[in-house]
Amino acid sequence: MSIEPFNRLVKLTARAFYDDFTTKGDNQSKSGRADNRGIAVVVLDALTRRQWVREENLAKDLKLHTKQLRRTLRFFEEEKLVTRDHRKETAKGAKIYSAAVAATADGHQTGREGEEKVKLHTHSYCCLDYAQIYDVVRYRMHRMKKKIKDELDDRNTIQEYICPNCKRRYTALDALRLVSPEDEYFHCENCNGELVAEGDKLAAEEMGDGDDNARRRRREKLRDMLQMFEEKLKPLMDQLNRVKDLTVPEFGTLQAWEVRANAAARSANGDANSNDPSKSSQAYNGTPMPFLGETKVEVAFSGVEDKGSNIKSENTSTPMKVLPPWMIRQGMVLTNEQRGEVKQESNIEGTSTAADLSEDKKSVDQKDDKNLQDEYFKAYYAALLQRQQEQEESIKVEQESFNTTEGSSRQVGMKAKREDYDNDERDENVEWEEARTTGNTSSTFKVDLNVEADASGDDEDDIDWEEG
Amino acid sequence: MFFHIVLERNMQLHPRHFGRDLRPKLVSKLMKDVEGTCSGRHGFIVAITGVENVGNGLIRDGTGFVTFPVKYQCVVFRPFKGEILEAVVTMVNKMGFFAEAGPVQIFVSNHLIPDDMEFQSGDMPNYTTSDGSVKIQKESEVRLKIIGTRVDATEIFCIGTIKDDFLGVISDPTS
Repeated sequence: MSIEPFNRLVKLTARAFYDDFTTKGDNQSKSGRADNRGIAVVVLDALTRRQWVREENLAKDLKLHTKQLRRTLRFFEEEKLVTRDHRKETAKGAKIYSAAVAATADGHQTGREGEEKVKLHTHSYCCLDYAQIYDVVRYRMHRMKKKIKDELDDRNTIQEYICPNCKRRYTALDALRLVSPEDEYFHCENCNGELVAEGDKLAAEEMGDGDDNARRRRREKLRDMLQMFEEKLKPLMDQLNRVKDLTVPEFGTLQAWEVRANAAARSANGDANSNDPSKSSQAYNGTPMPFLGETKVEVAFSGVEDKGSNIKSENTSTPMKVLPPWMIRQGMVLTNEQRGEVKQESNIEGTSTAADLSEDKKSVDQKDDKNLQDEYFKAYYAALLQRQQEQEESIKVEQESFNTTEGSSRQVGMKAKREDYDNDERDENVEWEEARTTGNTSSTFKVDLNVEADASGDDEDDIDWEEG
Repeated sequence: MFFHIVLERNMQLHPRHFGRDLRPKLVSKLMKDVEGTCSGRHGFIVAITGVENVGNGLIRDGTGFVTFPVKYQCVVFRPFKGEILEAVVTMVNKMGFFAEAGPVQIFVSNHLIPDDMEFQSGDMPNYTTSDGSVKIQKESEVRLKIIGTRVDATEIFCIGTIKDDFLGVISDPTS
């Protein structure tokens, strides 16, 4: 996608057709100061060096008044050279745009992060629409040429008639109403004056009546005009031909462009930095999107982490959901965002490896609610596992003791074990309490199913012991 | 250009026609009403070729008239820009000449007449070449090209040119 030939096309167009454009009305006399001819050329040239640009920024860069620039841009919008976009945006929206600008690494854009203190202002953006410019210019040239040529050989032109008295104009299509029975002329409907054929518009000056001489002179003039047209606009024609087979640079809509620019920047940086404003996609949800760029569907197999982040930036509209902590297992490949936080992840790692409960308890104190619960479960499972192992061992021991020794020793053993369990439970209780922050110390067994099941196991143990 | 199309029209029929001959009466009234009219959309309705279907009549309150929706086939003539037509000259004046192709009126202005033809006023105004071999006057038949049409709701008017290859007089009444 080379943009240079298109930029040249725009510049040539600006100089060919818009160099005498003024934003002032025709009725105002042009004093030297108010004469702003050539402004259109400057604006178009500036736009060739930019992509989407906020109009205030452009005005600032060009040292133009915003109103004047806007008037010029509106003209170009009507001329179909420029696409514009208006949107209400907050500081966040502005930031997205700034990020996109920074991403395109455009040398003319100065950093303006803190520049706007935006409440909810309507901002206008503008951008050259190269595809349309190409078409518009081509059509314009075609029309010019056709007009001159048609008039040159009098082809397909509808004769116009004008009333010399009341200046009323008629075309040949009105002829039927204009004929009069008395003579062979057309008569004005209004004042009954005799109509005269109007000479062709381009060569209308110095037209006498329709004698041969005038006709010949007119043809000469038209031929000159055609020649001049060919000659002067040859560079533009050449450029049009050169551009014909090139792919047109396309920026898309403002949103699509921003998204793409940001995505490109991110892939260039290699990694997604967390404070990238486009990632907080609320700004997009707020504004209705006409369409989302081109939707790329990419199947990412888990384990390719940066691919995942790419997709996220391209699809943009919905942030990936943060997985609830109970869904996170070891060995899952998740981004930091999915885990909720970066900090949490490290903790999970720590706790899942460290099975020691007391240590856990200390660390628990510093964490917030969710972390606590999550961590609690981790620790809990670890502890459960540990205890099951212990239990198995103890059962073995029991059985052995059944086989070998009498009840009393077993009783003692059980008791010791029981204390062990108590300790465990107490630990858990304390933890649970902290986790819930509701302060119900006694009823915890009923609340959590796991805990309850565990407790019933303990009860059985108790019963066993009593029976024993 | 001619087209054979199906059109629909709501026909109001007076109660006195109700009877055996209702349908023929309806058709003859339709022909009388429709043939020769011009609509901007379809052009001139030249002739009705058949009645496809007569719908259920609806009696109007108060008058006793009955409205029948009638579908009929017809030939329409619609001139188009760029079309070549043969026409008969009806009037010649200094500004050009008028011609008729069936129901359509066409005006050819003098700057769309070849440059070598000059206007000759007199008893029988005409356009003639300098050697007098070609003459356009009333009743001449000319082949012309339509370069513009004005289509109103009930009227179509065209302007034409004879300043092109193979256009011009095709038969002279005097010869």
